[in-house]
Amino acid sequence: MEYFNLYANCQLVKGARMSLLCDLQMRRFYHIPNDTADVLLFLQQHSIEECMAHYGEDNREAITGYISFLLSKELGFKDNRLVPELTPLDLSWDRYSDITNVIIEFNEDISYTGDFFRELFDLHVQGLEIRCYHKTDLDRIRELLEVFNGTTLKFIKLVLPYEATLALPALDKLVKKYPRVRSLLIHSSPADKLEKIFDGSVPVVFFSSNINSCLACGEIRADYFMSNMELFTESQHFNTCLNRKLSIDGNGYIKNCPSLPESFGHVTKTSVREVLDNKAFQRYGKIRKDEITVCKDCEFRHVCTDCRAYVEDPQDMYSRPLKCGYDPYTNSWENWAENPLKQSAIAWYGLEEIIK
Amino acid sequence: MSQQILILSQSHLEGTTDHVCQWLGHLGIPYLRMNGEDLFDMQHLGDLPGNDEIAVVWYRRKISSFPVKYSLKQADFQTQYTLKRFLADEFNGLHSLLFYTIDRQKWLNDPITEDNLNKLHVLALARKCGISTPFTEVVTTRAAIAQLLENYHEIIVKPVSECIFLEDTAGGQYKMLTKTIHQNNLQLVPEKFFPSLVQEKITKKFEIRTFYLDGECHSMAIFSQNNRKTKDDFRNYDNQRPNRTVPYKLPAALEFKLGQLMKLLCFRTGSIDLMVDMQGNYHFLEINPEGQFGMVSYPCNYYLERKVAQLLSKSISHEKEIYQ
Repeated sequence: MEYFNLYANCQLVKGARMSLLCDLQMRRFYHIPNDTADVLLFLQQHSIEECMAHYGEDNREAITGYISFLLSKELGFKDNRLVPELTPLDLSWDRYSDITNVIIEFNEDISYTGDFFRELFDLHVQGLEIRCYHKTDLDRIRELLEVFNGTTLKFIKLVLPYEATLALPALDKLVKKYPRVRSLLIHSSPADKLEKIFDGSVPVVFFSSNINSCLACGEIRADYFMSNMELFTESQHFNTCLNRKLSIDGNGYIKNCPSLPESFGHVTKTSVREVLDNKAFQRYGKIRKDEITVCKDCEFRHVCTDCRAYVEDPQDMYSRPLKCGYDPYTNSWENWAENPLKQSAIAWYGLEEIIK
Repeated sequence: MSQQILILSQSHLEGTTDHVCQWLGHLGIPYLRMNGEDLFDMQHLGDLPGNDEIAVVWYRRKISSFPVKYSLKQADFQTQYTLKRFLADEFNGLHSLLFYTIDRQKWLNDPITEDNLNKLHVLALARKCGISTPFTEVVTTRAAIAQLLENYHEIIVKPVSECIFLEDTAGGQYKMLTKTIHQNNLQLVPEKFFPSLVQEKITKKFEIRTFYLDGECHSMAIFSQNNRKTKDDFRNYDNQRPNRTVPYKLPAALEFKLGQLMKLLCFRTGSIDLMVDMQGNYHFLEINPEGQFGMVSYPCNYYLERKVAQLLSKSISHEKEIYQ
């Protein structure tokens, strides 16, 4: 008897009509019909022959095809048994920091060296995004980057407006001096293109649209999907957009995300502890994709970045992201901004300007 | 003064220690981390951590590199090497003082055994515990190898000690890895050679890396067979087609025997290498008491760094109970 053993880090996520087979180790995913997914699930309990018998002779060729696809992508292997010692992947999630990611809407008039920031980065924050919507003096950015030397922060993403003087050699020099800067997004650029600096290790994305406010955020796009252990496991238990995330808006107010209206104090007056102890600050963190309307039927739900700031029904915390154009019931993408059912929410958030 | 956790590590390139320290910080458990590099700033012996203040020691690493460079007035490749060895011995002489000043039972792993672990002895101990090991011999002649090849289709040769990295005067780097000997390349083997460890070559279905932690085995299967480039040793990393690494559970009887072996060695943590042959039999290869466990922890989502932090914290709360 032959059996097909699927590797434990290849996880199947079923949607309304399609499924996603997420290879969490190789960081790839495969969009497959639910029929194929059902065969795969059957194979996790039965031999290949039993599977053929179950689905009938008519399907033998199709099933053989599925298995050779899985083998060719190295998602599993054939053996004379289902190896019981190959245990399922534990999908629990935990981190050693109360805040793992921070967004700063940069403002030259705010001091980023105060107690609040010291306390915040002492929590072992892993990733930081520094957003500049408008032209900013690079020396001021350097001063801010200097703060993180010697901290355990791993990753900084810089979002800057395009400037002709801000050429690649200057950026290369910057990231070599501050190696925590691992990626750059240059908005309002003359053209869309991808460049690499620091010997090809740091991507610089030139983006032709303007990012001149946080209204531009929250878009759900297929190229933002990520199939990896961190996101997939976190998504089983927490909200991947807001769990353990903190933002400081351009006026120094502390928020879950710059795009959300609620603030939990000001960097000059509030302590990080107070923010963390505030129940309201934690309320989005536990909203799982499995609980969100429509998303819970979507096969992309555990590779998705989600958005809780702009949702289809602004009165419902459990409604799907407004800026998502995917329909898991028809498996088609449409332009969300043109969807007539979304127009009232678009107006409610005042997004008309940015979707023109 | 309450007793605390001592972590011996290095200041650079030690993500695993950083990770465990971050967990300790998050769990609110105080600890003292001493990097080998710190010894270059000590003023007197009294700066070293003393027995009374320490409840438990996790000896992870000695040092990354000396923070100061010493060189000869007149550069000479040979003498430079001798000097390097001398300085390493000098450093070890100071560092290992802690092995004697801090009670041995406070160390997660007995430090003297750890620093002097003998591969051949460990294999013998494993067999004593009823764990199967590949046939192993130390030989000095081609004739002896030829004789072995009558019983074994292929044999491998690997160091009795550890693999080394070699550097030539031009800066070229060479790494030593396991090599296979069979009838077709036997003639390349010198007639007489330095005592060398040879082992029967086992055709593997997959490899297993087990991180043993205080009585529990956290195992990972490594599938590299369909990848010709890594057939002998999965350290020949292949970035295009990395090996598949997935969680694995060893049979209870084998876990029990591995536990016995670790106890004989006075180790509470360590990385154990095993191999599974085409028939499904397990073969023990070796133990790396300070072995990497990040490479098991992350792919299997085991949170081993948190478990190590919790074990260390258990040791100090246990101490508190005794002294209360």
